[in-house]
Order: sequence, then structure tokens, then C-alpha cells
Amino acid sequence: MSDTTAPKGKLKSATPWLIAPGVVWMILFLVAPIVMIIYVSFWTQSTFSIDSTLTLASWKNFFSSEAYVGALWTTIRLWLIVLFLTFIIGYPAALFVGLLVKSKTVSTVLLVLCVIPFWTSFLIRVLAWRPMLGKEGAINIILMKAGIIAQPIEVLLFSELSVVIGMTQIYVVFMVGPIAFMLGRIDRNIIEAARDLGAGFGRIFWKIILPLSMPGVVVGAIFVSVMVLGEFATSGALSGRKVNLLGNIIVTQVGSLKWAMASVVGVILTVLLGIVVAGFLRIVDLKREL
Amino acid sequence: MESKILKPILAVYVGLFLLFLYGPFFVLGTLSFQQGPEGGPQFPIIEWSTYWYRHLFGMVPPSRIAPLPVGEALIRSLTLAFMTMVTATVLGVMAAQAFRKRFRGAGVVFYLIVLGMMVPGVLTGLGTSLLANNVLGIERHWWTTAFVAHVVYTFPFAFLVMLAILNRFDGSVEEASWSLGVSPIRTFRKVTFPLIFPGVLSAMLFAFTLSFDEFPRTLFASGRDQTLPLAIYGTFSVEIHPNIFAFGVMTTLFSFALLAVYGILMGLSVRRAKKQAMQEDIA
Repeated sequence: MSDTTAPKGKLKSATPWLIAPGVVWMILFLVAPIVMIIYVSFWTQSTFSIDSTLTLASWKNFFSSEAYVGALWTTIRLWLIVLFLTFIIGYPAALFVGLLVKSKTVSTVLLVLCVIPFWTSFLIRVLAWRPMLGKEGAINIILMKAGIIAQPIEVLLFSELSVVIGMTQIYVVFMVGPIAFMLGRIDRNIIEAARDLGAGFGRIFWKIILPLSMPGVVVGAIFVSVMVLGEFATSGALSGRKVNLLGNIIVTQVGSLKWAMASVVGVILTVLLGIVVAGFLRIVDLKREL
Repeated sequence: MESKILKPILAVYVGLFLLFLYGPFFVLGTLSFQQGPEGGPQFPIIEWSTYWYRHLFGMVPPSRIAPLPVGEALIRSLTLAFMTMVTATVLGVMAAQAFRKRFRGAGVVFYLIVLGMMVPGVLTGLGTSLLANNVLGIERHWWTTAFVAHVVYTFPFAFLVMLAILNRFDGSVEEASWSLGVSPIRTFRKVTFPLIFPGVLSAMLFAFTLSFDEFPRTLFASGRDQTLPLAIYGTFSVEIHPNIFAFGVMTTLFSFALLAVYGILMGLSVRRAKKQAMQEDIA
């Protein structure tokens, strides 16, 4: 590169060079791997090896196995439950942080407080639920001391419930953040005007606040969905292998070198994600709203 | 009217909400001080002690509980996070710089980059190891396959941070520099970079911490040698002991130290910028 040409023209011609490394990296290490998953899902798998003869065997195998199809339904069910819970639990918190708190400082401090737990290792945070939820865990001890229950509740740990609790706790912040952001941008004068015209809070909430915060809800829902659908660590750590998500199937299949089946599950997961994200994007035109 | 009642109720709610978020925090903080080596990873605390912290550093007599295999894993994770941080930040700054000009296909490129943070780790991990294992026939290592997967994940974050910074960037100072005959590369180094430095720091922080704690991609793509999250994951299947909680507290403190360094560097750069602005005002 010489420095003799006019800088302006130079910057323009520099664009391809600036963008190329990132694009090449993403094509080689993101697009190619995903294409590979699709391709390998049609490979022929024998017990110890895999070859590139194309077959539908693994696909047939997936849809004829109750365990695999069951994992698909479990994934969808858990995703819906966690999505619902993160929304229900997260929205009021976001409402307070984003709209009701008048001072910008307080609202920033509250948001930072929400983010701090993320500085602890994700896996150890998940693991910390075990002493809480176990048969001899903190919750059972407290409930028994308080005389609310006579016998420890056993379904708290190593059940679908513990996975739901763990995931909700980990992902709820991803719902709070975007909603609080959108709520913070609402013009307070609109709410003021509605109040002057005699609207109660309920009406203001349904007619103004909720619709205006929808883009935040959608972004939050996309974050939560993408993460929950691809999960396997939380379910692995808190369900005692009782809850198998698509992610768990992929891990075990790769563990036993069943690459073709792992790929089939990978493709199904990709399709599921595509449908979910596309569905959310249909609700709100993010490009226009943000 | 209603908001008069609503606000205090929601304030209490937010308090409870934070308690819920910090629950695991308290658990591991408390249980890390469990008595050792007999005390298990559960309540109540038999007797407060620092046994498990000493256990972590091999400062206790050998017992039936093996020390966490974290020594080498920690070094690997730090190295990997550093490599990822540098690569992701460089790519992010370059890409964001390119996005200051409109160019054909910008939309597609934008989505291609953002896809990296949206695709679940289990898929990128699987795909990367398929590519390495079944097509290229190369061995997977934390510094090869896991590294590229980490960059795929963190580069979008760095890119978005830089994009946000450059969006508010006043291009006229660069033009002034060019019109004075300073070369674009020198302009970038002397004018643009100092101005976007806070953003670069944030991008680095993002990339480092995300990579350091990254688990699903690494699980598939890293091969034999374990990184830190993998070492922790390895303890899941066997019996867990409070040493894992002591370790959790240590890594959290490490993260805070990192955050403090970030804060200090940020403060310094802001102060320097202020000083320069003041000098300009005087001049």
C-alpha cells in the first residue's frame, strides 16, 4: 500500500480489505460447519465408522425412535415453559427498572446488578442449584424447619422442574435487558397525556406501555429461545440424565462417534431455531422499530 | 394513582428478583467455607473453614478427594481467551470500520457476522468438529478448532460494540488529518484509534470473558486437552465437593479483577481525552 493516492478514494477501496478477513472467517468456520452438519446427516453410519455414501437411514432412525422424537418434544415443551417464565418474571422487573425508576443512575445500577452474576462461571452457577434444591437442600431444610412440609420434596432436584428453575434463573436477564431498554425509550409525555385524559394504569399499560415495549420483548424472546433450544449443560447437570434435550442427544451421539445421528439432530435443531426466530421477527419489524 | 401503589410493590419485587439472581452466588460463597474434608457440598455448614481454598492450592495433606485438575486448564483457558480476544477485536474493528461506508452486500455481511453469536454453541461446535474430523481429517485442539469457534462467537460482539462506537464518531477529524496530508494508516493510528479506544477496550473485555467461560463450542471442538470450563464439567458426572464452589468464588474474583483493570484503563483514557480537550480549549 502506498500513501500517494488521495486518502478518500483510498478509504473506499480499503473497504473490501477491511471486510474480507471477517467474512472469510465466518464463511469458513461458521457457514461451512453448518453446511457440513446438513451434509453429514445423510452419510452412512456403521458401528465404528462413517462414510460419505448418501442415505436417509439416520433420518428414518430419528423419526422412528421414541427417545429421539421425545427429546424433540421435551425441548419444545421446556423452551415454551422457560420462555413464558422469563417473560412473566422478567417483565415486572424491567417495568420497574426501565420505566418507574425516575433516576437514570438508579436504573443503571440495577441493570449492572443484574449482570454481575454473569461474572461467575456459567457451569458453577448451574451447579450451585444442587445444594439449593436437593433432598437435603436449603429449600427443603427451610420449609421443614418452618413446618410447612413434613417430608422433603424430592421432585425439586433431578427433575424437569430443577432444569426449568435453573434455566429461568440463568436466562431471565436476557429478557429484562431488552425490555427495560425499550421501556426507557417511551416518551413519558404520552403516558402523562393518557393519565390526564383519565386513563387508569391498567389501561395505560395495555394500550401504551405493552405495545411500545413489544420490540424489546421480541428481542428478549429471541435471545432466550436461541439459548434454551441449544442447551444441554443445565439439563445435564440438574436433571440427573432424566431430561434429554436435543442438545443432550447431540452430545451423547458425538461421544459415541455417531456423527450422522448427531448431525440429524443438529439439522432438526437448526430448522426449529429458524422457525422460531423467523416467527418472532414476523411479530415485530425490528429494523423499523430499533 | 395506581403507580403510587404499584411502584413500592414493584420495588419489593425487584429486590426479590435480585435475590433470585444472586441465589447461586450466596450458595457457592457460603458452601466454599464448608468444613473439610468430611463436609459435603450441602447445607448446613458444619463448621466454617478455609479448608477448600487451601485444598485448591494443594496446601492440605492429601485426602481421598483429588484436587481439581485446574492448573494446566487454567493456563490453556487464559491463553485461548487472549488469542480469541486479540483476533476477535482486530476483526471487529476492521469490519466495523468498513461499515462506516455504504457498500454493496452490507446487509448480508451484517447478518453473516451476527449469525455467529446467534447460532447455538452446540451447532457450531458440532459443525466445526465434523469439518475437522471427517473432512479435513485433522486432530482437534483447543488452540486450533476451538480457537476458530471461539472467534466465530466473540467477533460479532466486538463488531457490534465497535459499530455502536463508530456510529457516534465524528468523521471530520479524520478528514482534517487527511487534508493535511497524513496517510490513512497514520491517521487511523494517531487520530481514529485513540478516539475509539474505549470501544476497543469494551470489545476486548467482551471477547475475553466470553471466551474464558465458553463451554459448548469448546466441548466439541477442543479435543483431548481440557480448558477450564471442560475441567469443571468433568466434575459434574462424579461426586462434587465444596472445592468446586471455592473455585467458583476464585474465578469470580478473577473476573472482578479483570473488570477493575478495564475500569482503570477506561478511566485513564477518558481522563486523557478530557485533558486533550482542555488543551484544545486553551489553544
